[in-house]
Amino acid sequence: MRFNTHYRPAHSLTVVELGPNETVRAEASAMISMTRNIRVATTGPLNRSTGGFFGGLKRAFLGGETFFTNTFTAENGPGHVTLAPALTGDMLVHELAQNHQLFIQGGSYVAAPDSVQLDTKWQGMKGFFSGESLFFLNATGYGPVLMNAFGAVQTIDLDGELIVDTGHLVAFTSGLQYTVSKASAGWIKSFLSGEGFVLKFTGRGRLYVQTRNPAEYGRSVGRALPPREA
Amino acid sequence: MVTRTPALQMETRLNAGKRAGFFRVIVAFFVALMRKFLGGETMFVNEFGGPAGGEVVLAPSLAGHIMTKQLAPGQVLFVQRGSWLASTGDIDAKLRFGGLRTLFGGEGLVLLECKGVGDLFVNSYGGITEVPVDGKFIVDTGHIVAFDGSLDFKVRSIGGVKSFLFSGEGLVCEFSGRGTVYVQSRNLDALVSWLTPLLPG
Repeated sequence: MRFNTHYRPAHSLTVVELGPNETVRAEASAMISMTRNIRVATTGPLNRSTGGFFGGLKRAFLGGETFFTNTFTAENGPGHVTLAPALTGDMLVHELAQNHQLFIQGGSYVAAPDSVQLDTKWQGMKGFFSGESLFFLNATGYGPVLMNAFGAVQTIDLDGELIVDTGHLVAFTSGLQYTVSKASAGWIKSFLSGEGFVLKFTGRGRLYVQTRNPAEYGRSVGRALPPREA
Repeated sequence: MVTRTPALQMETRLNAGKRAGFFRVIVAFFVALMRKFLGGETMFVNEFGGPAGGEVVLAPSLAGHIMTKQLAPGQVLFVQRGSWLASTGDIDAKLRFGGLRTLFGGEGLVLLECKGVGDLFVNSYGGITEVPVDGKFIVDTGHIVAFDGSLDFKVRSIGGVKSFLFSGEGLVCEFSGRGTVYVQSRNLDALVSWLTPLLPG
């Protein structure tokens, strides 16, 4: 399985090249085009590799992801599927190694082979305060993980401490711990700063950060649109 | 239009095709009226020209690319309605519907059949991939920019009933034969679905 990304960073699109009988699992509605020999199956909530029924529910309601995922399998020879996100931005591949983990922000996951398992990591109470979805998909196993970003991607290999806005985080590797905190010392100042909540990372690992914030974009554009008709 | 030099005149006319007969003009008029009424774009086009010549600068409304395609005599290119930007020479654009099924599901595939000799300018939302098809190829209807008239196409759902309802992929277009399909990397419907929950009120 090979991922090739074109039209970076604004209009990125990834071609997933599949060998005979290889399968890629992708988020619903990511498919743009495919060769005729690709078999599509909508893996429902009972599929074990996506975490079973409750796994699906958890992913849908907590992970900001869709309840159903599609699997694309190349039959009778090689084939390809192209995938792209809805919004403007780059796509990236993280090579997940055995015994390592990757935590992916809800809307950023696009696709991975069957050798990668996904689960929703419950973030406890600290996720609730942020207002922005602070539920991470926890990827384990091995293989390439395809993600999308809103805007361009900054890759940060951290050894120490860094503060990241919750809306700008794409993914991070195990080895990093984080705490959620207010952007400024006081509640009122935090509110006025427009920064909301931030994540304070410590440890050693890799961070992927996106240069735009979808929630902020939604607020600026949404406000400019005409109100809904009753 | 973005800018034009003053020597150029602009004339607005109904996009019924230049050699259109009376019946086609009437049809185009009603389609234009209907589209105007339903809030879609109109089928009126602007013609730029003048004896002294000049320059006109054009740009589409969405973020993306513009490609140029030269049409030779007898060559046909189908262009998705929103992707048609401009043409030169005697290229005609006729309205074609992609079949009844495309009217369901909101992903209307409305095509312009472009024929004639000249340059055709086609815009996309996102980047454009040229896919040489020899055999069969499947594209989400919302991502089609244009395709050669030599290709056959049919609109269908992606898999079984479950996939149709839950896959989130809507309708796809299955191309067969030999020719090129132009595919865009973004989809306006997807952006609209993303923005809809953010509307005020």
